[in-house]
Formats: sequence, structure tokens, C-alpha cells
Amino acid sequence: METRLNAGLAEYLIALGDDELILSHRDSEWCGHAPILEEDIAFANLAVDELGHARLWYELAAELLDEDKERFPDHLAYFRDASEWRNVQLVSLPNGDWAFSVLRRYLFDVLEVERLRGLKQSSYKPLAEAAAKIYNEELYHVRHGRAWLPRLGLGTEESHRRMQTALNDLWPFTPQLFQALPGESELSGVVPTTPGLEAEWRTKVVADLASANLNPPEKSNPMNRPRTQQTEHMMDLLSESQMVARANVEARW
Amino acid sequence: MSDTQWPRFMVFQQVVAGEPLVHNGTVHAPDLEMSLLNGRDVFLRRPAAHALWVVPVECILTKTIEELQDGSWLTGVKEAGGPMARYHVFGKLHHQGQLEQIGMVEAAGPEQALKTAMSEQQGRTVWVWWVFPVSSVLASDEDDIDSLFRFAESHDFKNQAYYPVITMMRQIRARGKR
Repeated sequence: METRLNAGLAEYLIALGDDELILSHRDSEWCGHAPILEEDIAFANLAVDELGHARLWYELAAELLDEDKERFPDHLAYFRDASEWRNVQLVSLPNGDWAFSVLRRYLFDVLEVERLRGLKQSSYKPLAEAAAKIYNEELYHVRHGRAWLPRLGLGTEESHRRMQTALNDLWPFTPQLFQALPGESELSGVVPTTPGLEAEWRTKVVADLASANLNPPEKSNPMNRPRTQQTEHMMDLLSESQMVARANVEARW
Repeated sequence: MSDTQWPRFMVFQQVVAGEPLVHNGTVHAPDLEMSLLNGRDVFLRRPAAHALWVVPVECILTKTIEELQDGSWLTGVKEAGGPMARYHVFGKLHHQGQLEQIGMVEAAGPEQALKTAMSEQQGRTVWVWWVFPVSSVLASDEDDIDSLFRFAESHDFKNQAYYPVITMMRQIRARGKR
């Protein structure tokens, strides 16, 4: 592939990795705090899966940029300031309650599965192979999230209220999910177009939500910012996730 | 205060197709379907597996070798009419070991099922018996094997050297003892 395409695809992959890594960090914050032991373990599993996905995307980017496969992911994770991250805002929002975290995951994972379906067909072989591996894990993620929707949405008055509130709070952040990713405009045939994933996502999500008696808010102010803009929460998140690595730059893990 | 815990479910694992299932442990879950996901997350994220079963605890009739020793339980089991159903039979065959699948019987109730199983397995030492109706089992789908179980391609995570910090701490402690 040409150098220009390489750089574009690397940008794209780093953005995907950033989504995964930040969501992984948020999910890992439930470790030891989830409402029941089994779900604590489940969420830790999901967080570790996403961490692995971020690593895969970053390693692919390293190859394209001729960077060291070992060091580059660490550099991306530990030594970038908030303004250099390209994740969507949805994944960096603080965890809130259990309903918020479960629903956030679900909304994000449905999109991931749709995107991976396209990436599995990528003309760039290493990308197609990574996507096929991640796809299987994400199928389970969606299954886990989808299983919770009716149990909370149709559970008790309180669980329904919490889910509907979470949906109202999360919904404005969903349009940003369908912006073209950095580098994407140059990558026809290599990656699926992100705006093209919205229709399928919306059909699935709205149907699942409806069967759990949950309704997207009729009026909401979309928070459709470019991926270069991060929420104020990213600073706090990074100060925690990067603290140890930055305190001892020479440390080996 | 009432017990706020969710109901319990027994989790069974089949490592390779065709082999007997073995008992893995217990999970809490709000219902049977969720217990399958919880069972997978608690016991089977890493090891390879072919199938996973979950069964509500209250569907299982259990008897230990001590409970059956004097034969009074067995003589108390009545002949029962009524519809026949199929029951899975699990047994603990070694003192330190998991329960494993040892057969299937058809019977008119759980007690009759155990009685039949005991006569079929005569001569075998079974420390603990479990029988439960085939209909009480939720099994994972063959189509879901890839998304449920096929995660650990490398087993680096079992190797202590994979965690340099642990190895380093061990070396530091060893130095301190000298």
C-alpha cells in the first residue's frame, strides 16, 4: 500500500483502538464494585477483551507506520494528552449507575459488530484477520448487553426508571458514533464507511429497546462533536490510567 | 431481612464433544438464560470448552454415600405411575474429584430415577449422586462455540514468567531472605 494510505489507515485504527481502550478503562472501574459477583467478573472479562482489541488495532497501526509493535501501543496508551485521543465521547463518560454502564456498552457494541462485519471483508488481509477474531468476542458482548435490556427495562419500577434515564443521557452522544473516522475518506474498499452503519444500528437498537419498554428521547440536543474534541472527563481518566507509567518512564511491565 | 441473593444454578462443562460433562461450580443469576452467560464468564472464559450446561439447583436430587448407606432411603422409594421422563445421572467417582456424567435413565420421578441409576451402576463406588430431568437443562448452542469459548489461543497467562512484575517481586523477596 502507498505511504499516504498507510498513514490514513493507521489514523483510522488508532481511533478504533482509542474507543476500545477508553471503554475498557471505564468497565474496569467496576471491578470490585459491580452489584453482584458474577457480573463483576463478567464486566472484568469484557474490559480485558476490549483491552486486547485496542492492542490489536494499535499493533496493526504500528506495522503501517513502521513503529515498534511492543512500544507503540504503550506510547499511545500512556504518553498522549487528552487532546491527542480520537475516541468518541460516549466511551469516556463516567460510569454512572449499573444501568448507564450496561446500556452504554450495548449501544457501542452493536455498532462494533456492524463495523467488524465490514472489516472482516477488508482488502487489507491483516485487518480482515484481526476483525474476524474480534468479531467473535463482540458477538458475546452484544449477547450479554442485550440479555440485560429486558431484565432491567421490564424488571422493577426502579430498574426501568434507571434504564430510561440512562438512555435519555446517552442518546445525545450516539450521533457522533456515525461520523467518518479519521483517515476513512481515503480507505474505500479497505474499511466500511461509518455513516453507512447507522441505518442497521438504528433498526436493531430501536427494536431491542422497544422490547424492553425503553424509548429513545423524542427531543435531545445531539452532542455531535468531532473526535478531536474530548469531554472534560478524559483528563481525570487519563491522569489515573497514565499516572504510574509517567511516574517511572523506564519501568518495564 | 430477607435473602436478596439471586437463585443458584449448577454449571457443567464438556471439554470435548462426546465426552462426559463435569460439574464446574455454582453461579447466581436472575434466571436460567442469564445463568448460562454467568457460568461462561465465571468458569469458562479462558479454558477451551465444547459445551456448557446450567441447571437450577432446586431441580437436582442429591444423595451422598452416607445417606444411602443403611438402605432405608432406597426401600422407602415407592413405585410411581405417571408420565415417564428422562433424567441425567451424575456421580462423584473419586473422593477428590468433580461430579461427572455417568448415565441417563427414564423414570416416573427423580427418586425412581436415582433408584434405577443405582441398580444400573451396581458395583461402582459413587460418593455423591445427582439426578435431574433432561428438561431442566439449558445447554449452550453449537453455533455459539466460537463466541463463547474460543478465546485462549495462547496459554501465556498460565506462565508465571508472563508477568514480569510477579517474577521481579519474587526475586526481590528472595534477595531479602538471604
